[in-house]
Amino acid sequence: MSGPLWPRGLRSRLLVAFVVVTVLGAVVAAWSGAGTAGAALVASSEQRLTEALTGQIGAVTPGLAYPPDQGALERLRSAAGANTLVTYGSLRSADGVAADLVPDSLRTAVRTGNRMVTQRTTGGGEPWLLIGTPVMITAPDGARTPSGIEVYAARDLAGVEREIAGMARSAVVTAALTLPLAVLLALLAAGSVLRPVRDLRDTARRLAAGDLGARSNPRGADELADLTATVNEMAGSLQESMAALRRMQADARRFAADVSHELRTPLSTLTAVVEVLSMSADGMEPDARESAQLAITETRRLVTLVEELMEVSRFDAGTARLRVEDLDVAGAVRDCLRARGWSHRVELVAPGAVPARLDRRRVDVVVANLVGNALRHGEPPVRVVVAASGGEVLVEVTDSGPGLPEHVLPHVFDRFYKADAARTRTPDSGLGLALALENARLHGGDVEAGNRTGARGARFVLRLPRESGDR
Amino acid sequence: MKRTWSLALLLLAACGIEPSAVEDSSEAPTGVAPGVTLYFLDEWGELRPQLRETGRLGTIAEAVGLLLTGAGHSGLRTEIAPSSVTRVVVTTTPEVVELAVPLTAGDVTPRGIDQIVCTALGVHVQSGGARTMKAQVRFVQPTPVSDVVRTCPLIR
Amino acid sequence: MAAILLIEDDPLVRRGLELALSRHGHDLRTADTGEDGLREFRSSTPDLVVLDLMLPGIDGFEVCRRIRTGSEVPVIMLTARGDDFDVVGGLAAGADDYVVKPVQPTVLDARIRAVLRRTAGVPGGVRVHRDLHVDTTALTVTLRGEPVALTPTEMRLLLTLSAAPGRVFTRRQLLQAVWEHDYLGDSRLVDNCVQRLRAKIETSPAAPEFVQTVRGFGYRFGPV
Repeated sequence: MSGPLWPRGLRSRLLVAFVVVTVLGAVVAAWSGAGTAGAALVASSEQRLTEALTGQIGAVTPGLAYPPDQGALERLRSAAGANTLVTYGSLRSADGVAADLVPDSLRTAVRTGNRMVTQRTTGGGEPWLLIGTPVMITAPDGARTPSGIEVYAARDLAGVEREIAGMARSAVVTAALTLPLAVLLALLAAGSVLRPVRDLRDTARRLAAGDLGARSNPRGADELADLTATVNEMAGSLQESMAALRRMQADARRFAADVSHELRTPLSTLTAVVEVLSMSADGMEPDARESAQLAITETRRLVTLVEELMEVSRFDAGTARLRVEDLDVAGAVRDCLRARGWSHRVELVAPGAVPARLDRRRVDVVVANLVGNALRHGEPPVRVVVAASGGEVLVEVTDSGPGLPEHVLPHVFDRFYKADAARTRTPDSGLGLALALENARLHGGDVEAGNRTGARGARFVLRLPRESGDR
Repeated sequence: MKRTWSLALLLLAACGIEPSAVEDSSEAPTGVAPGVTLYFLDEWGELRPQLRETGRLGTIAEAVGLLLTGAGHSGLRTEIAPSSVTRVVVTTTPEVVELAVPLTAGDVTPRGIDQIVCTALGVHVQSGGARTMKAQVRFVQPTPVSDVVRTCPLIR
Repeated sequence: MAAILLIEDDPLVRRGLELALSRHGHDLRTADTGEDGLREFRSSTPDLVVLDLMLPGIDGFEVCRRIRTGSEVPVIMLTARGDDFDVVGGLAAGADDYVVKPVQPTVLDARIRAVLRRTAGVPGGVRVHRDLHVDTTALTVTLRGEPVALTPTEMRLLLTLSAAPGRVFTRRQLLQAVWEHDYLGDSRLVDNCVQRLRAKIETSPAAPEFVQTVRGFGYRFGPV
């Protein structure tokens, strides 16, 4: 049933099954009708023929000499019609095909049975009914004894067969007439069954595409209506769960944003006073000086972390905006490296000016995070290549370290993901690469993380469109 | 699928005439006989069949006609008056064989009528007729005797 | 070194900045509300105002606007990072520069000194551009004989542009020359200052004669 001949679609399968069943039913009905009628026709023909023969024989026997001579046999044979064989002992009178067709089995049955027997056979391509009978002597008291005269008659059934064939033909025609009717009915039935299925499929597709408000209208009270109601229920609970999840997510994000915001005020004070501390450090005891230095470092880290958290919150809330301006990407990268004192640690390859319209601060954040990541986790030489390609600007950052392990790759841009916490030389916030990716995407660009081919080291590629629309 | 095909084959077989084995059909025809049986009376007045070897059974009319010619030298007698005319007209309906004899009611005794009836019905049965057949004898003059539908006492 | 008025509502932040800026040699006065700040501003006439935008009562924008009516004293705003509304509103209210909280006092000190440097004259005498007269040492400007009051930042921008009429300055170059910002300086400072300068010296600010826009590059001084 799964061969190429069996149609795939539910509709065509339903159609084929329906048509097959209907036509088969019609064929069976017509054919068995024709068969029954044919059998009845054969039976009645046989009865008519045997009765006729009995009558023909009975009409001449009282006048027939007994024991018969050849002449009497001839008379009996001619009375019994064409294709007849009459025997009496060694005497015989034959006409037509009867003598050739009569088999021994029929003769034996005639001789032993003392009754008229029949057998259908074929001869010369035509169907024949063979009738064999002894002629009996009846005593006045009714006792019957065989006379020794036997009559064999062959009767042509070709006419009957033609009638049966005619009936079969009309049966075929009848069955054929049901075909268009069956197709029509099948189409109607398939339509009524498949419409709800199609509705359900459309709904499922919309649900899969994220339209959780999609519902089907259950019609009737059949299994499909049950299924539709179940799907609707499922979509309903899915929608509720998603809404709850979104609420929780939004709550969590708002919390992060609020916390960061609230941290800013005490951090402002801290930032101000640790500097006073550091300016006074010269006059301090060594351990107090170191403590002041640690306080300064940690305050700066805290400031960076809070700033990055707030930036992430803005991305999550969708309030991050681009401020595009004309800039030279190569120059911006150079400035970024210089401002952070990385110029002598990083090799910059740029083909001259690469003009683009981008958000300078965000590009700086992305490059700083990618290079900072390479310096922190990779090994020198770290290399930055700026290139223009069509409508895109590519910034490739590679290092010569061990590269990114396979299991780390999918999580490189996750927030606070630390692949090798133990081996980190300089602590970082854990948000840098996530922010780099968000900033690139805000421009309509992307950051790819991978490993260098043919060399040791990780490779990050920042892709930015040269023209970023204001967002 | 296999079942569907065998069903289709069966249906195809139903169309057309198939050869068959030998099948029993009906009673064999009858009617041949070495002679005709006539009924006469013995010395005690009982009906006695007498086979006349005519070489064939013949018709009811011939048999009754032959009966009218008398018993001959067989030691049996007849209670039908001799007549030079022996032409008998036989009319057969599904229930009754009507015999018009060239006699008057006075020419035959009731036993003589039995002779006629038995001879006629005997030929009827020998020709393959039913044993329930009855007979009516009509004479040249109408008589209530003719209205009686009779059976042969020997043929039950 | 300079008399600074710090208007900030949070007492700890205020005290922290006061300590740090004093350490940098400034003479600090403080106020914790806008009303207080304006009163202090009028009585003490500071060289510069450091203004937090989030204030109870009248907010920082309003304080800045009121200072600007009749005074060219430089104003530096304290804003939250990335809060574009703060930056745009503050600049529109007439602020000269802004820093993002939490701010390092050294950075704030550098900005303060940069703003104050704009109040010093440069050699070159009086430059005459049609009916616009710019005195580079006295730092006065007259248009058709009428004196025009410019803030030190507007003055410095005009001096920078008019030093080389016809030369195109990028926003970045102007940010470095006038504001002494690093490469990440906010170009909106330039655009905003140009607008205010045009409002003061151009006959028709929509079709400027002196400070002309060069699309895709920056600004230049005309007429050429």
